[in-house]
Amino acid sequence: MTIQFERGKVVVIDRGARKLRVGQGMLKGMAVVWHHWLKSFQKLDNFSKTAGVFTVEYPDERIKLPEAYRNMPILLYDDETGQELCTACFQCQRVCPPQVIHINQARNPETGKAIPAAAEFIIEYDACMSCGFCAEVCPFDSIKMDHEFELSTEDHAELTMNKAQLSRPVSYYERIAPTFWAEVKASAYKKLQNSVKRRVDLIGIAPQMVEKVKAMRAAAAESEATEAAPSSAPTKPSAAETSPATDKAAKLAAIRAANAAKQDAGNGGTSTPEAPAGDDKAAKLAAIRAANAAKKAAESGEGSASVAPAAPEAPAGDDKAARLAAIRAANAAKKAKDEQENS
Amino acid sequence: MYDVVDYVLNTTFNLGAAGWVVSLISYLMIATVLFLVAPLQMLFLTYYERRLIARMQDRVGPNRVGPEGMFQPVADAVKMFTKEDIIPAAADKWVHLLAPLVVVAPTMFMFAVLPWGPGMTPIDMHIGLLFFFAVSSISAVGLMMAGWASYNKFSLLGAMRAVAQMVSYEIPAMLSLLAIVMITGSLSIVDIVQWQGGLFISSSDVAGVPNWGLGWFVFNPVGFLAFAAFFIAALAEGERTPFDIPEADSEIVAGYMTEYSGMKFGLFFLAQYVLNFLLCAITAVIFFGAWQGPGVNELYALGITPDNPDGNGWFNVLAGVLGAFYFLFKTYAFFFVMVWIRGAFPRLRVDQLMDFGWKYLIPLTLVNVFSAAIWVGFNNWGANEGFGFAEPLGDLGRWAVAFVLTLAINIAAYIVMTRIYGETRRVTFDEQLADTAGLPS
Repeated sequence: MTIQFERGKVVVIDRGARKLRVGQGMLKGMAVVWHHWLKSFQKLDNFSKTAGVFTVEYPDERIKLPEAYRNMPILLYDDETGQELCTACFQCQRVCPPQVIHINQARNPETGKAIPAAAEFIIEYDACMSCGFCAEVCPFDSIKMDHEFELSTEDHAELTMNKAQLSRPVSYYERIAPTFWAEVKASAYKKLQNSVKRRVDLIGIAPQMVEKVKAMRAAAAESEATEAAPSSAPTKPSAAETSPATDKAAKLAAIRAANAAKQDAGNGGTSTPEAPAGDDKAAKLAAIRAANAAKKAAESGEGSASVAPAAPEAPAGDDKAARLAAIRAANAAKKAKDEQENS
Repeated sequence: MYDVVDYVLNTTFNLGAAGWVVSLISYLMIATVLFLVAPLQMLFLTYYERRLIARMQDRVGPNRVGPEGMFQPVADAVKMFTKEDIIPAAADKWVHLLAPLVVVAPTMFMFAVLPWGPGMTPIDMHIGLLFFFAVSSISAVGLMMAGWASYNKFSLLGAMRAVAQMVSYEIPAMLSLLAIVMITGSLSIVDIVQWQGGLFISSSDVAGVPNWGLGWFVFNPVGFLAFAAFFIAALAEGERTPFDIPEADSEIVAGYMTEYSGMKFGLFFLAQYVLNFLLCAITAVIFFGAWQGPGVNELYALGITPDNPDGNGWFNVLAGVLGAFYFLFKTYAFFFVMVWIRGAFPRLRVDQLMDFGWKYLIPLTLVNVFSAAIWVGFNNWGANEGFGFAEPLGDLGRWAVAFVLTLAINIAAYIVMTRIYGETRRVTFDEQLADTAGLPS
C-alpha cells in the first residue's frame, strides 16, 4: 500500500498479506495477543519495543520526579545551625492567590522589636493550589516546592501545617532539586548570614533543631568557659560572660562616643547615663545620649565633671549596630565641635 | 464413596446401617465437597482471568492482596457480602429475589455428572451428557426472570439478548455433540471418557492400540471440527467475549445484572464463572479425554475396581490425583484460551452473532454429523449393516479410510462455508457508496 503525497514523498506502509482467508485473520489476531502475553514477563524498559509490562508498580517503584515538580510549599533551614532562611518578609503571604499563608513576625521578647525571623508560619495545605508563586517570589530562597504528594489524611485539620511541620533541612531540598539549589545556594547563604546577625537567642531556629542547637551552644559555652577560666575569669565581670562579644562592642561604642565628646568639649557635660540591659538599641541609645551630652557640653562651653566611662551593660546585641551608633556619636561630636568653632 | 461409608459404618463401627442411610450419607458428603469446590473454582478463576488478561494487555494485574494478589478474590467476596442489597421500587420483588437462585442452582447440578478422575464421577448417569446440557439451559429462565423483574430497559434488553443467544447457540453445541454421541454410541459421560483411551487413535476404533490415555476425540477430523464448533458455542453459552452481548457494558450497562447489587449480583457472578468452568471442563471431558492421560489407567488398574476387588486402595488415590490433575490442567488451559480470545477479539453485533450461529455454525456442524456417520460406518459397522466391502481393509485400514474421508469432507465444508459466509457479509466499497448515495450498484 502506498500513499502518494503531493510533495512527491512516498511512504510505504507494510500491512502484511493483503488478503486473509478462512479465519487466518482471527488466528493472526490471537498470535498478537500471545506475543504480548509471552513478553509480559519482561519489563518494557526500551520504548522502541512494542510488548512487555510497562506499568510502574507504584508503591514499590517510583518514577523519579523532575526537579521542577511542585506540590506543596516547605520552609528551609540550615542543616548545621538550624537557622531558618525565612525572614518573615511577608512576600509569600502577599502573593498567595488562595491566601493560605499566615506569618507571625518574631519579636524580641525584651524590647518588642521585630526580628528577621518568623515566630509562626502556617500554610493551609488543604486550600493550597500548588501554584508555586510563594517559592517564585521568596527573596531569601526560603520557601520551596516539595516533591511529597502522599498527603491524604483522615483528619482535615492535619492539613494545616505549622512551622514545625513545614521546616525541612536544606540538604533535603538539595537532594530533590540539586541544580536548582546550586543556582541560589551562594546568595541564599549570604542573605542568611545577614539575617542571623540580627537574630537573638533561639529565635529563628527551626523548631526541630531547637533542642540540638541549645545543646550545641551549651557545649560550646562550656568549653569556652573552661578555656577562658584560667586567664580572663577574674578580670571579667560576670555579666559580660553571657555574651562577651556584643557586650564588649557596646561598651566600646559608648567609650568611643564619650571620648569623642570629651575630646571635643575639653571637659564633658553630663555623665552618660547607664543604659539598661538590652541590645543594640540600648547601645545606640547610649551613643545618642553621649552625643547629646557632647553637644550640650560644647554649647555650654564649660567643662565641669569628668566624663564617666559610660559602660552600658548590654548583654546581647549586634556589634554592627553598636559600631554604627558609635560612628553616629562621633559624627555628632564632630558636628558639635564645628558649631563651637563657628560660634 | 458408598463403599467407603458402608465399610466405616457397618464393618468398623458395626452399626448395621441400612443401605439408604449409607447412600444418603455418602451423597451428602459428595454434595458438600462439590458445593465447596464450585465457589472455590469461581474465586480462583476470577483471579486467574484478571492476571491473564492483564498480562495480555502488558499490565501486571492484581498483586497487592496476599502473595502475588492471591487473596484478591477473597477481598472481593468480602466486599460483595458487605454491600447493600438494593431492590428497585418498581421491581417484582419475589421474582427479582428468585432469579439469581434459578441461575445458580443449575450450575451446581451440572457438577453431578462431571468426571474428576477414574471412578470419581459423582453420578454415572447413562444420559449424563443430556442431563448436563438440559440443566444448563434452565439458567436461561433465571436470566429472563432477572431481566423481567428488574423493571429496567437495560435489564430486559440484556435478558432478551441472553436468552436469544443461549437458545441459538445450543443448537450448534448439541449438533457438534451429536457427532460425538454417534461415534461413542452412548450419552454417558463415563463411556465417552472411556472411549478416549489409546494413542492418537482411539483404542475403541482400532483394537490393539497402546492405551496411553491419548485417544482423544480432538485427534480425529470429526472430533476436531466438533470441538471447534462446540468451543465457539460454549463461548456464547458462557457469555464470554466476543459473545458477551447480554452484558455488553458499553451498550446496556450490565444487561440483566444492571439492577442487582451485593450478594445477588455476586450470585450471578458466581453462576457465570462456575458455568464457564463447567463449559471448559465439559470441553476437556468430551474432546480431550477428561482425566485420560499417560499413567492414569495403569495406576487405576492396580487399585480397587469392580474388575479387581483385591487391589490396593492407595492406587485409587494416586490414579485419582493424577486424573484430577490432568482434568483440571486441561480445564484451566481452556479457560486460558477463553481469556486469550477475550484479549484478542472485540464484541460482535447482535445480528453478527445470530448470523454466525445460524448461517455458519449450524450448517458446519450438520456436515460434521454426516462425517461422523461415515466415521461410524467405516469403523464400527460390519457386513450386517452393509459395510462388508470395508472389512478386507482391516481395523487400521478402515480407520485410515475414515480419517481421510472425513478430513476431506470437513476441510472442504469449512472452506466452502467460510467463503459463502464471507461473501454474504462482505460489502464492497462501491456497494457501500451506492447504498449511502442511493445509486444503483
